[in-house]
Amino acid sequence: MNKVFDVKGLDLYYGQKQALKQIEFSIYEKKVTALIGPSGCGKSTFLRTLNRMNDLIDNCVIQGEIHYNHQQIYDKQTDVIGLRIKVGMVFQKPNPFPMSIYDNIVYGPRCQGIKNKAELDEIVKTSLEQAALWEEVKDRLRESALSLSGGQQQRLCIARALAMKPEVLLMDEPTSALDPIATSKIEDLILQLKQNYTIVIVTHNMQQAARISDYTAFFLLGEMVEYEETERLFSHPRDQRTEDYITGRFG
Amino acid sequence: MLNSRRKKDLILQSITYMASFISLFVLISILLFVFLNGFKLLNMDLITHNFESTSYIADLKDFTGPGVFNTNKDFDDHTYYSTKWGIALSDSENLMGHTIVLVTYVHEDSPFNDLRNKGVATQDLMLDVDYEIVRIAFDDGPSALSIQGAQNMIQVLDTKTTFRELEYSTSGGGIRGSIITTLYLIGLTLLIALPVGVGAALYLNEYAPKNKFTKALRNLIETLTGVPSIIYGLMGLALFVPITISLTKATGANLISGALTLSVILMPVIIRTTEESLKVVPDDYRHASLALGGNKTQTTFKIVLPSAFSGILTATLLAIGRIIGESAALVFAVGTAIKDHVSIYDKSTSLSVHIWAMMTDEPANIELSTTIAIIILVIVLSMNLSIKLISKRLLRKYGVTHE
Repeated sequence: MNKVFDVKGLDLYYGQKQALKQIEFSIYEKKVTALIGPSGCGKSTFLRTLNRMNDLIDNCVIQGEIHYNHQQIYDKQTDVIGLRIKVGMVFQKPNPFPMSIYDNIVYGPRCQGIKNKAELDEIVKTSLEQAALWEEVKDRLRESALSLSGGQQQRLCIARALAMKPEVLLMDEPTSALDPIATSKIEDLILQLKQNYTIVIVTHNMQQAARISDYTAFFLLGEMVEYEETERLFSHPRDQRTEDYITGRFG
Repeated sequence: MLNSRRKKDLILQSITYMASFISLFVLISILLFVFLNGFKLLNMDLITHNFESTSYIADLKDFTGPGVFNTNKDFDDHTYYSTKWGIALSDSENLMGHTIVLVTYVHEDSPFNDLRNKGVATQDLMLDVDYEIVRIAFDDGPSALSIQGAQNMIQVLDTKTTFRELEYSTSGGGIRGSIITTLYLIGLTLLIALPVGVGAALYLNEYAPKNKFTKALRNLIETLTGVPSIIYGLMGLALFVPITISLTKATGANLISGALTLSVILMPVIIRTTEESLKVVPDDYRHASLALGGNKTQTTFKIVLPSAFSGILTATLLAIGRIIGESAALVFAVGTAIKDHVSIYDKSTSLSVHIWAMMTDEPANIELSTTIAIIILVIVLSMNLSIKLISKRLLRKYGVTHE
């Protein structure tokens, strides 16, 4: 199996506090990898190292190596914008821009200098179709994205990320702000998307991880305790702490 | 115990009631004062007319003697007609509220159609409706003056067969020039202050490193808000007037230096208000933009700045209010000469300075000043409303804002 990300000895500090300790990790192509663990265990922080969103935090120091397609992304020469184009991200809270649905989708492509109207129209259609939103919004592309429901907004955010034609999608608890119906729609969507994209998803919801992921990593206090195929991790956890967590003894 | 607490509550409550009542009362009485005093002089002529009036001194040309000029026009009780001279006069007030004698009708064959300028330029003149007659002088006997009223003037005229000279003037006292100056100032100042102020706010909030220097800079800007405007006016006179004189065809205080001075006054306000609105733009937007491969500049100008739109609008409104209201700084930077032909390279007065000029007149013209105050209020109000309307339409396009 092809490794998309290869993480070696990753340490991350917020000032004096160490948030990630010696993470060793591989993410496989066209699989869904779930990161689970209690709050504050570093799973979101880890996710954000993959497209260098932690750069935005002032006192964040990163040591170790992350290879994306055999390239070290914490090199000085790394083209961060190029990386973020290839590694898209969906956030916890749906965060469409206060613009029309259309403008939301084409924001990324426009930033890359695509101006051709037909090309942009095509991007809007395909990405909305991929995000299973096209049928619901095709007649109101010019309306504000904020007029959509929470679940629709989140799918719009996914479509917006897909518009960049990424290889990897990072999702940071994409359903935690949504109701069960919207959540199941997003989960279906993730299962569809995995045919074409590598997906890394942070989730609080162990059932969700079990339902949609191929691999699951369990984080605790900045360490990656266990990383396994999802089925094996949930049925035969090797580590006592993993077992305690998935059986609901803490967290 | 319970009783004393209740008493305390009552006292504190009544203090707040009193305070709000007093402020409301003061506001309403100011408005009432302005409207009751100024309403009388308020009319379209005031707004559309020139301030300056031209005076002429004329005598009769090719005069053969008075005749009989009958007319079937109906005059009201306050208009007096002389059939001997074919002229109707009435008592009136000019735009500035001064008592005048106004020409209301001139018969087509009246000798007043055939006048000659007694001044240096010897052109032909004719008396027209709406001119003000200042005095008519005769060889035999005292002159008829406008302060004696129209009736007196007609009676005197009817006893005479000719006159030595006539002084009359076109109507003046309008504030058209000052309104135009004010609009120019608003436009020019916003043109300078908005880009610079918004740019500075963007720098402070988006780009500047969070260190002591930035903090000091921000404190300094805040301090500038409290500097009295007359000091800015002096700075405008000492700095901007010479600069504009050397760079443009201006020869003294001018509108450009005034706009520059106002811009400096407004900069802190605009920076503060814009920065506050930039602060409340959710970081979610910035992160989403960066995660989509937008760079810092694209994020700042395509996402953050439009989201802060309502704040920038508030800044603009505050700025317009301040521009219209400012007088002390403008006395130095633009001058106090009331002009009808406004040029940005020349001295001029805004409406506020016009009020100042009217109040320094001898005697102070309170009525006209309050009328201008009404016009200022109307301009501020209509600008506020129209900008809010525009913004509402823009915001509707994007749905709800983050506020």
